[in-house]
Amino acid sequence: MSIDPPNQCMTVESAQTLMNQGVSCQVEIDLSAPFQVGDRVKAKVMHPETYTRLPRYVRGKVGEVVKDHGVYVFPDTMGQRLSTKPQHVYSVRFSAQSLWGMDVSPNDALYIDLFDDHLEAV
Amino acid sequence: MASHHHHPESEIALRVKAIESLLVEKGIVDPATLDTIIETYEHKVGPHIGAQIVAKAWVDPDFKARLLDDGTGAIAELGLTGFSSEHMVVVENTPEVHNLIVCTLCSCYPWAILGLPPTWYKSFAYRSRVVIEPRKVLQEFGLEIPEHVEVRVWDSNADLRYLVLPERPAETAGMSEADLASLITRNAMIGTAKVPAPTSLNPPVAQEISP
Amino acid sequence: MNGPHDMGGMQGMGPIPIEENEPVFHSEWEAKVFAMSFATFINYFPVDETRHASERMPPGEYWSSSYYERWLYALELLITEHNLVTPAEIEARVIELAQSET
Repeated sequence: MSIDPPNQCMTVESAQTLMNQGVSCQVEIDLSAPFQVGDRVKAKVMHPETYTRLPRYVRGKVGEVVKDHGVYVFPDTMGQRLSTKPQHVYSVRFSAQSLWGMDVSPNDALYIDLFDDHLEAV
Repeated sequence: MASHHHHPESEIALRVKAIESLLVEKGIVDPATLDTIIETYEHKVGPHIGAQIVAKAWVDPDFKARLLDDGTGAIAELGLTGFSSEHMVVVENTPEVHNLIVCTLCSCYPWAILGLPPTWYKSFAYRSRVVIEPRKVLQEFGLEIPEHVEVRVWDSNADLRYLVLPERPAETAGMSEADLASLITRNAMIGTAKVPAPTSLNPPVAQEISP
Repeated sequence: MNGPHDMGGMQGMGPIPIEENEPVFHSEWEAKVFAMSFATFINYFPVDETRHASERMPPGEYWSSSYYERWLYALELLITEHNLVTPAEIEARVIELAQSET
């Protein structure tokens, strides 16, 4: 996926291809994963003024990596046309109580997909 | 930048026409392309596609196993991928776990599998509340989840898109894949409903003899 | 950015607005805004740039706008920022169309 768009009018055919096939955000490179399934990780506390896919409600909270989805382009930099900055994306599980306190159900959980740049080791 | 809010519909419609005519005039968008896009999302893609996937998973255990292990790959086997459904994760509802899908930051949704999202999915109420009080939100949809069942909320904030594999109603034993697909609703594949039993399809006698 | 879009966990948003049998688009302009945005995705603006554009809507405006009004805001912001169309051209065309319709 390139950073700079082609600046071309979309034809009917290319619209059909885009709708039927989509665009992969995955990057086929061999990049070692800093985090493994089962690791406890902390969503970074950060407040960039620019685009980020790390919502406030998980920042500073500790969760567990439940799946490594592989390597994807990084939306936080793509949104600014800075770089693709490929990195691993993980499904991270947070207990509902770790996010919202003890008044919520102890059984419930929130799963969210976080990138390497959103996470730090606990 | 002009402000849009509180403007009457007619004013917005006029503004959209102005922008469209400029973009067409400058060769930035092609009217035929716009028509194709609208036609596709109004009439071609929709929850019937997701229903096909779910029905197949209900009748084919090997497919179901592949679907839960690698949603993207299994859905590609059926040739049913597309824009905003490139990377799919399928999560299974069971008697112990109830899954539901949201995108708190915008309204990401598996367009190629379920069509464009309904208004409630895009609403501020759903986006804000479902992560903090999923059970109350589900009550508004008429779903009471017992306390011992784990509610899992999936915030699709990245490039992965989610589909709930709902529980198959017990009353559907022996039904064909196509008949099963017709029972499966959009909300059941987002997690705000269960698939209803086919009361209107099954005569009472058939219900008595089904396991 | 800590914008109006980052609403997970906010309270006071009211009941879920459930509409039975709703159409894909509620008006022709919604369909056109969607299609123009889609037609410029990838080809002119990375999708994440369009998401960010709607997040840059001032919070008061964001919270009082409908979904496709926010898409319209993002589209207009990006086509003018990238100099595909100027704000003056849009205003002039709005007036021109309004006059031709009366």
